[in-house]
Amino acid sequence: MAAYLTTDWTSAFLKKRILFSTAFLIRIVLVFYGVYQDKTMLVKYTDIDYHVFTDASRFITQGSSPYKRATYRYTPLLAWILIPNIYLTALFGKLLFVICDVISAYLMYSILHFRGMGNDKACRYCALWLLNPLPIAVSSRGNAESVLVVLVVATLYYMENRSLVKAAVCYGLSVHMKIYPVTYALPIALSLQTLKDPETEALGNKASSLLSKRIQKFFSRLLNKDLLVFAVIAGGTFFALSLIFYSMYGWEFLEHTYLYHLTRRDIRHNFSAYFYMLYLTAESEWSLALGLAAFLPQLLLLLITSFAYYKDLAFCCFLHTAIFVSFNKVCTSQYFLWYLCLLPLVLPSLTLSLKQGLGLLFLWFAGQALWLAPAYYLEFEGQNTFLLIWLAGLFFLFINSLVLVRIISHYKQRRDPQKTKSG
Amino acid sequence: MAMALFCLILLFKSTPSDFTTDVHKHTHKGDKGYCSENDWLESFTVIRRLINNGFHRELVSHVQCAAAVPEGSQVLLLEKLPQGVYVDPYQLTSAQEHSDTQVLLASEIDLEAPAYLSSGFSALVYASLDPQCSWCFTTTLPVHARYHRPAGSGEAEQRVSIESPRLLVRAEESTLPLACPQNKVTEAPCTAQNHSLCVWLEIHYQQELEAVSLQIPVGDQRQVLAVCTGTLSVTLLCCCMILGAVWKHGHFQL
Repeated sequence: MAAYLTTDWTSAFLKKRILFSTAFLIRIVLVFYGVYQDKTMLVKYTDIDYHVFTDASRFITQGSSPYKRATYRYTPLLAWILIPNIYLTALFGKLLFVICDVISAYLMYSILHFRGMGNDKACRYCALWLLNPLPIAVSSRGNAESVLVVLVVATLYYMENRSLVKAAVCYGLSVHMKIYPVTYALPIALSLQTLKDPETEALGNKASSLLSKRIQKFFSRLLNKDLLVFAVIAGGTFFALSLIFYSMYGWEFLEHTYLYHLTRRDIRHNFSAYFYMLYLTAESEWSLALGLAAFLPQLLLLLITSFAYYKDLAFCCFLHTAIFVSFNKVCTSQYFLWYLCLLPLVLPSLTLSLKQGLGLLFLWFAGQALWLAPAYYLEFEGQNTFLLIWLAGLFFLFINSLVLVRIISHYKQRRDPQKTKSG
Repeated sequence: MAMALFCLILLFKSTPSDFTTDVHKHTHKGDKGYCSENDWLESFTVIRRLINNGFHRELVSHVQCAAAVPEGSQVLLLEKLPQGVYVDPYQLTSAQEHSDTQVLLASEIDLEAPAYLSSGFSALVYASLDPQCSWCFTTTLPVHARYHRPAGSGEAEQRVSIESPRLLVRAEESTLPLACPQNKVTEAPCTAQNHSLCVWLEIHYQQELEAVSLQIPVGDQRQVLAVCTGTLSVTLLCCCMILGAVWKHGHFQL
């Protein structure tokens, strides 16, 4: 999808330096505005999560565990990073998140540039993140999503550059912080396989075209030095961090950072299509079986998209996360950022027109609005709108699937002149 | 009066889970005249209201005394809240900066559990004299409703009743007839900061209306089959849609 902004002032505005500085400035201004709003108005600007992080950091400075703070379900690393919130200024965390946000955009720009895109065009796609109200609001309100975004985009950036060690460290860190990047393991592994050598391939084809032989060859291509290096370093980073924090905080760390998210069955209303089903069956013996049934579509889709699109890691990861979030048992608007951050990297490869793209965007927002209305009436007016929320959740899943189908059918695999044969 | 206090004997403690301790005392015949003079203690009325709708409410308790209340009096409401609601301690901490209501919670509260996995709890709500009306105390306690078990017989809502609180009063010791036989004396924290214990007098009051309650929407258990079938069908449909698109357009190279 190409943006046709040809007027002079917009192209001057979209020059890299001006764009990035403006984006940074907007976020800083909002952080300070948030201080004002928190002091004067009843509805606070700062997200409740920010207070959870700060309280957890305070517990660490007092020498105890961050998990003493109820609803702190993150890695202790986050609370440790935010210790300056207690000693320096309460705004430290927000400033850190804002900086991570802008760095993510810079990494997106670098990836697009590395793929051969011109400065101006790359800036236009990055503007979709830099000037997008959603990430601006999220990081200035104090949500830590931008830390994860910067880690994921950095992983993709280092994979493009084939700096495998740095990519592996970033990847290990990102999985430690939130579990969902673990789904990227398969596409990353597939993208690191030894490229087929045409001569040996032709010989092989003559010898045998049995499925078992092809599978055997596939696995032998997979086990190469690059993949082993990546696996060892990413795995090492993840396990080292887990070991350190386990020795510091024990079982609580595992429970809140990982187990809670893996077994989370939030029966309170959320965007997920499964919400009402899980609420009604929360105490029945079918609960486990249904949970598993809900897991299978996610698994199947993730497997098949890995094999189909591993050559373009950004697109594959985008599909992975969009599928994961849409088919998940719990879905909140915070999760949308996890795949929206990859959109600037995906859009250049799509042949959708501006009109089609905006149409899909409108559809996506309409789906959310249709859910938010009955949800508001349930939570704040006490009306029994459970059926409506359920139907809206199903409809939202359908819309998400429709949007994904359109994106998949308009994806054009780019020819990558930079990729050279290895192995 | 000090002598009377010395005669107070702790015979047994009430349940430690709500911070209070009932106290037994000796009666003194000489105090009978004094004991009948405290009309203001008989003229308390408590009006309770739940404002807002939905899952997030505010429990407003208006404690009115028909007679003059001694200077520096403090009122404490001992709330026993049912398992169907909860109070957010973090919300209370930030609200305490702006409001006169101070709250002390007796136990840890799980903010996310549904009602059937939770238990009732006690809250001590401290109030000071409200300057806007004569001899009254107003407290506001934000309460949130928990998710309840889906109804098996098609009721759209579940009623959660909040029982009337115990009313305790504290003032200058000389003005309180702590030793009188009809009065029940209790020990409880002096303030929400829980640094020290004070002696409070329990008041029997008139309640204007019956106990407040809130109606919470619940799911309909009878729909479970339709909901499961519908959900799994739609997810299967969407899964096939995306599978089909990937199979058709994907670049498979095994």
